[in-house]
Amino acid sequence: MPSWIEQAAHRGILTTRFPRTPATEEEVPASARAPVAPDLESLGRARDACPVGAITERTVDQGRCIRCARCLPAGLAFRGPVDASTRSRAALVTGETLPSSAGEPPVLPGFRRSLHLFLVDVGSCNACNLEVLAIANPFYDSQRLGIFFTNSPRHADVLLVVGVPTPEMREPLRRAFEAIPAPKAVVAVGACPISGGAFSGTPGLAGGLDELLPVDVFVPGCPPPPVALLAALARIAGTPGRREA
Amino acid sequence: MTLDAFGTVLTIAILAIFAGAPLAVVRREAGYAAALAGSILLLIVSIAALAGASVQGLSWTGPLGDPEGFALDGLSAFFDLAAAIVWIATSVYSLGYDDRPSPLLAICYCLTLGAIALLVSSTSLVLFLIGWETMTLASYGMILQAHGRAGRVFSAAFVFLAFGEASTLLVLVAFAGIHAISGSFTTLPIVGGGGLATVVFVAALVGFGLKMGVAPFHMSEWLPIAHSSAPSNASAVLSSTLTLAGAYGLFRVLSMLSDPPLWWGAVMLGIGAVSVLLGALFAAVSEHTKGLPAYSTIENNGLILVALGVALVARTEGLTELFVFALFAAFYQALAHAVAKTALFLSAGYAEYAARTFDLNAIAGRAKDVDGRAYLGTLAGTLSLAAAPPLAGFVTEWMILEALFQSYRFTPEAVQFIGLLAGAAVALAAGLIVVAMVKFLGFTLLWRPRFSGPGAPSRATLGLPIAAAGAVIFALGVGAPWILRFLTPSVASFAGTSVVAPIGGLLSVPNGWSIVSGSPFGILSPAVIPLAILAGIAVGLGYYALGPRAPPRRVRPWMAGSPAGRDGETYTSFGYSTGIRLMMSSILATREVRARVGGVVQAEIATPVAYNVELEVLDLFKVFYDGLVRFGEVFSAALKQAVMPGRLGQYLAYVLIVTLVVVVYVAAAA
Amino acid sequence: MTRAAWVVEADGPSDGRPAPERALAYAPEDGTFALYNDYHDGRAVLVDHPRTIVPREALQIWRAAGDPDGPHSLGPRSVAEGYGVFTFPYGPISMGVPESGRFDVTTYGERILNLAPIGGYKSRRVRRSVVGLTVADAALRVERIAGNYAAAHVSAFLGAAESAVGAEVPLVELWTRGFAQELQRIYNHLHVIARVAEAASQNVGLAQTHALAEEVLRLKAAAFGHRWLFGALLPGGPARRLDPADRRQLAGRIDRIAVEFERLWELFLESRTFIDRIQGTCPVTRDDAIRWGATGPTLRASGVAWDDRLRVPAPPYHDLFVALPVEHAGDALARVLVRGAEIRSSLLLVEQMFERWPGAGSTEPASAPVVPGRGIGRAEAPGGDLVYDVQVADGRVAALGFRAPSVANWPLFAIGMRDAVFTDFHFAIESFGFAFAETDG
Repeated sequence: MPSWIEQAAHRGILTTRFPRTPATEEEVPASARAPVAPDLESLGRARDACPVGAITERTVDQGRCIRCARCLPAGLAFRGPVDASTRSRAALVTGETLPSSAGEPPVLPGFRRSLHLFLVDVGSCNACNLEVLAIANPFYDSQRLGIFFTNSPRHADVLLVVGVPTPEMREPLRRAFEAIPAPKAVVAVGACPISGGAFSGTPGLAGGLDELLPVDVFVPGCPPPPVALLAALARIAGTPGRREA
Repeated sequence: MTLDAFGTVLTIAILAIFAGAPLAVVRREAGYAAALAGSILLLIVSIAALAGASVQGLSWTGPLGDPEGFALDGLSAFFDLAAAIVWIATSVYSLGYDDRPSPLLAICYCLTLGAIALLVSSTSLVLFLIGWETMTLASYGMILQAHGRAGRVFSAAFVFLAFGEASTLLVLVAFAGIHAISGSFTTLPIVGGGGLATVVFVAALVGFGLKMGVAPFHMSEWLPIAHSSAPSNASAVLSSTLTLAGAYGLFRVLSMLSDPPLWWGAVMLGIGAVSVLLGALFAAVSEHTKGLPAYSTIENNGLILVALGVALVARTEGLTELFVFALFAAFYQALAHAVAKTALFLSAGYAEYAARTFDLNAIAGRAKDVDGRAYLGTLAGTLSLAAAPPLAGFVTEWMILEALFQSYRFTPEAVQFIGLLAGAAVALAAGLIVVAMVKFLGFTLLWRPRFSGPGAPSRATLGLPIAAAGAVIFALGVGAPWILRFLTPSVASFAGTSVVAPIGGLLSVPNGWSIVSGSPFGILSPAVIPLAILAGIAVGLGYYALGPRAPPRRVRPWMAGSPAGRDGETYTSFGYSTGIRLMMSSILATREVRARVGGVVQAEIATPVAYNVELEVLDLFKVFYDGLVRFGEVFSAALKQAVMPGRLGQYLAYVLIVTLVVVVYVAAAA
Repeated sequence: MTRAAWVVEADGPSDGRPAPERALAYAPEDGTFALYNDYHDGRAVLVDHPRTIVPREALQIWRAAGDPDGPHSLGPRSVAEGYGVFTFPYGPISMGVPESGRFDVTTYGERILNLAPIGGYKSRRVRRSVVGLTVADAALRVERIAGNYAAAHVSAFLGAAESAVGAEVPLVELWTRGFAQELQRIYNHLHVIARVAEAASQNVGLAQTHALAEEVLRLKAAAFGHRWLFGALLPGGPARRLDPADRRQLAGRIDRIAVEFERLWELFLESRTFIDRIQGTCPVTRDDAIRWGATGPTLRASGVAWDDRLRVPAPPYHDLFVALPVEHAGDALARVLVRGAEIRSSLLLVEQMFERWPGAGSTEPASAPVVPGRGIGRAEAPGGDLVYDVQVADGRVAALGFRAPSVANWPLFAIGMRDAVFTDFHFAIESFGFAFAETDG
C-alpha cells in the first residue's frame, strides 16, 4: 500500500531555484511576458489592433496590456523581462527601454525573511487570485524565500490587490488597508488594478487602484505568472537573487 | 467564665447588629449603619482573638440547665472574621442600594446578620440552633423582597424555606445525637460515640451541606437566587455568609468528633468533587447575572468539602503534614470565596442598577461608563474565582490541588481512586469556571451598552465596597503566607492540637514568604508573583519610553471588510458558552426546540420561512426534585383520600379502634 | 417562433402542475422563453412560456446574479430568531475564501442556523459593457468573467453567437474547444480536491495535488500559449493550431499526468482522516437539487445523471465515450468523488479526441437560433451547466445574458449548511467549487 511519504519521495524535488537562477520557458510562457516593439513602425501598425488602447505612436503602456496578442501580427513580440514590476505607474509606459528594477532599494527593507501577504480581491476574474495562491505550491515554494500568506490584515505587511476595483469593494478595501499596521506596502497585481484591464472604460469601475490607495508596486500581466510575482515580492523584501531571465 | 473586655465588645457587636432591625423601622439607613458598626466591632474582636487575646462574652445558664453564652475560640474567630469582612462591604453597599419604600429588607438583613453572628459566636449548641433557625427565617424574609411576579418570587422563596427547614431538622438530629453521646450541649470535643457518631456525622453533613449548597442539594442555592432575583445585598449575604455559616457548622461538628473513620473523609471528597464539577459546569452555561455566581458558590463550597475530606483522610492515615496543609487549604478557601463572591454579587447588583435586567445577553456596560472602582473590584473577584495569580483564589486552588496530588499516599486503593477522580474533577472545573468568569466580567462590564438608558451612576457607596473587596482579595493572595500564619490558631482549634503553618522558603525566596505543600512536594510564593509581573511591566514600559515610538493609530476592529461592531452582530453571551452546552449535552440534557412562526413553502413559491430556535439545558437534579415533589403531592392526596375522607362513620371507627387498643394495652400492662 | 433543432416538445407542461423531474436551466429576464432540462428523459427543451418550475426565489437569484446592482442574497430567505441568536457577517474579505463575497451567518454559537451567501461584490458589469462591441472584442471580456472557466464561457458565448448568425463552424474549432474545456476541467477539479485537502489539513496531499494542477497549467500553456487559455479560442486570434507533432508531445505529458493522478487518488481514498472530514458534510438531497436547479458535479453527486455534454450529440462529443459518474449521498465526499471520476473521464476523452482529430476543411452548422439574431450556447463548465443567450446585430453584440453554474448551486450550499457547525464551512464551500467571479459577472 502506498504512503504519502513514498509519494513524496517518488515525486522528488519540484521547486525552482528562481530567483537565484533564471526562470525557464516552462515557468514563464511567452504570452506571460510583456510585449516589446522592435521599432516605431510596428507601433504605428499595432495601434489600432490593441483593444485596450495600450499602444500609442511611440509607447506601449505595459499596465494596460491584457496579453490578447493582437499586436503580434504587427511586429511586436512577447520578449519583456520576467520581472516587469515597477514602483510607479508612469514607469510602466515604455518606449525604447523596458522597465527595469535593478538597483532600486527594497520597499520594506526589514522584512527579508518574513514578508506576510494579505490578498484582497476587489473584482477579479480569479486567474490572478489563483496565480497568487500558486506561489505557495511546490513548484515555486514562496516559503523558502520567507514569503507567507496570512488571513488577518493585522499580521500582514503587504496588501496584494487583484481585480478591478468595483464600487462595492471600495469600503472593504479601505478598511483592509487601514487595518494593516505600518510599515506596509500595497501591490497591484495584474492589469485590472493597474488600469482596469480588459474592463477599462466600464462606467462605475475605478480606472485604477491608485485612485483609491497609494500603490507601491505595480505588477503587470494578465495574469502575471507566479515567478513574476515572486520576483516582485522578493524585490519588496530585498531578497537576493538575479530575478532576470 | 467571666466577661472580659473583648467579650464585652463581642456582645455589643452582636447586639448592635440586632438593634439594626428596630432602627430600620425608623430609618432604613440607621439599620444598615448599626449593622455596619456591629460588623466593624466584630472584625476587631475576631482579629484580637486570632492574635491571642481572650474573648469571653456574656454567659448564663440556659433553661435546660446547661451553660450558654458567647465566646470566641480560634474556629469561631475565623468565621466571624470572614463574615465581618463581607458584612462591612455589603452594609456600606446597602446604604446606597436599598431605595425601597418598605424597611422590610433592612430589617431582615439585620436579623440575618445578627443570627449568623450569634450562631458563630455561641458556645452552646442550643444557641447555635436558635441562631440557625432565625437565620433561615430572616433570609426567607429577605428573598421575599425580590422584584418580580409574586407567584414566582413566593415559590422560589418557599423552596429556600423548605430546604432551610430540612436543614434545621437534620442539624437538630445531629445535635441531639451529640447530646446523647456527651450529655451536654457545649461545643467542646466529645469522645467516642461509635454508631451514634456516624448518625451525627451523616446528619451534620447533609444538614450543613444543604445550607452550603453542595450537590445533590445545590438547587437550594441556585434556585432562590436565580429564579426570584433576590435583591443584590441579600444575594451577597446569602451566598457568602449563609454558606459560610453552613461551613462553620460542619467544621464545628467535625471538630467535636474524634477519631473519624476513613470513609467519612472519602464521602466528603466524593460529594465535594461532584459539587465542584456541577457548579462550574452550570456556571459556565448560565445567562443570569446572579445565577452564574450562585453556581460558582456551589463549586467553591464543594472545594471546601474536598479539602476537608483530604484533611480527614490524612488524619486517619496519620499523615500529619498533609492533614495540616489540607486544613489550611479548607479554611483559606472559605475566606477567599466569601470575599470574592461578595464582590461578584455586589457587582451584579451594580449592573442591575444600571441596566435594570439580569440577563447577560441584554446587559452591556462600557468600562469607562462604569465606575472604575466597581470595575476593578469585579475584576479582582472574577479573577480570584477563576484562580488567576496572584489572587486569593489562585492560592487556594493551588493548595487544594496540591493536597489532592498527594492522595497517592493514602493506603486503601479505593480512597486513592476517589482522590484521583476528585483531582480530575477539580481540574476540569477550574477550566470551566474560567469560561464562566470571563463571561461574567466581559458581558457585564466590558461591552458597549445595548440598553438605551442612562449609563451607570458613579455612586461611591456602590463602587467603593466592591473595590474594597477586590483589595482584600488581592491582599489575601499576595500576603497569603503571612495571613496563613496568622490563622494558625483557627486550625489548631479545629485540630485540637498545636499546628505549624505550612510556611517556608526556598532558594532566593526568604523563609516565611512561601507556602509549602509538604516535603518533598510543592512550594509557592504568591508574594513573588506580583513582583515578577511588575518587573515585566517595568521592562516593557522602559523599552517603550526609550525606544522608537510611532504615534498610535486608532482603527476599527477588523470584521472581514464589513463594518464592525454593529448592534446584534457581535457574539452574545449565550453564544459564548454554546460550545459547552453542545459538548456536555449528556450532563446538561441539552435540546433544541424549533417552532415555525411564519412563511409558506410551496412547490413553486417560497416566502421567507421564519422560525424560532431555543437551545435549552436542564439541571437533572431539579428534575429529580420535581419528581419527588410530585410524588409527595400525589401520595399525600391519595393518603388523604384514603384516611381522612370526611366521612363521620370512618372517624367514629378510628375512635373506636384506638379506644379498644388502649384498653387492651392498659389491661395487658396491668 | 422558430424552435431550436433540438426541441422535442412543442409546448411546455400543459396540465399546470409542476413536473417532479424537471428544473429550469435558464429563463431570460425578457421572458421570451425558458430553457429547462428534463432529468427524466435526459432532454433539454425550449419552451416559449416560462413556467415557474423551480421556486420563484431561485429565478430571482438567477436574474439578480450576472449583473447585480449591489450585494444580493444567493440563498433561500429564512429567518431564525430566539434567545441568544445573532447574525454576523463573514466577509466580504473572509478568511479562507479566496474571492470576495459575504456570508451572513445566523447562529446561537457553534451551530449554523441559517447561512445566506451574499454576492454582488465583484461585478464588472460585463453584460452591459459588451453591448456594441464586436463579437471578438466581447469575447475578450467574456474570457475574463471567470478566468479559470474561460474556455467554457468562451465556447458557450461563441456557440451562441454562431447560432445567432447561423454560421458554419470548422470542426477543428469545435475539437479545439472541447480539448480546451477538458484540460480546464482537469485543472479545476484538481484545484477543488487540493482546496478540500487543505481544509482537512492534509498538507502533503495539498502540496502534491497543487503541484499536479500546476503541471496542468503548464500543459495548457504549452498547448495554447496561455496558462489560462486566454486568447486560445478567440476568432481571429493566433491560437496555436495543434498539428500531429504537437499532439503527440501533449499526449505524452497527459499520460504522465494521468499516472500521477491515479497515485494521488488512491492515496486520498485510503486516507481515513480525509474521508471522515468530508463524509456527511453539507448534504444535498436529490429533491432539493432538482427543485432548485442544481447542476454539474453537485447534481451528479446527489443522484441525478445529467451532463450537458450528453444532452445533444454535438461535436466533439458526439461519438466519444463520456463517462457519467453519479453518487447518491450528496455530501462533500460525494462531490469530491464525482470530481475525481470526472478527471479520469476527461483524461480519457482527451485521448479519444486526439485519435479522432479532424482534418482541416470540414465544418458543422451551428445550432438553430431562437429567432434570427438570437442564439443559445451551452457548455458543461467544470461547475456544471453554463448557458449563454446572445443577440447579434451587424456583427456586434446587441444583448448578452448568461447563467453560470455557480449561481444555480449557491442555494444548495445555503440549505445544506443548516445545522452544520462552523468548522464544516470550508469543507462544504470548497467541495462545490463556487466562483463569485462568474456569479457576479
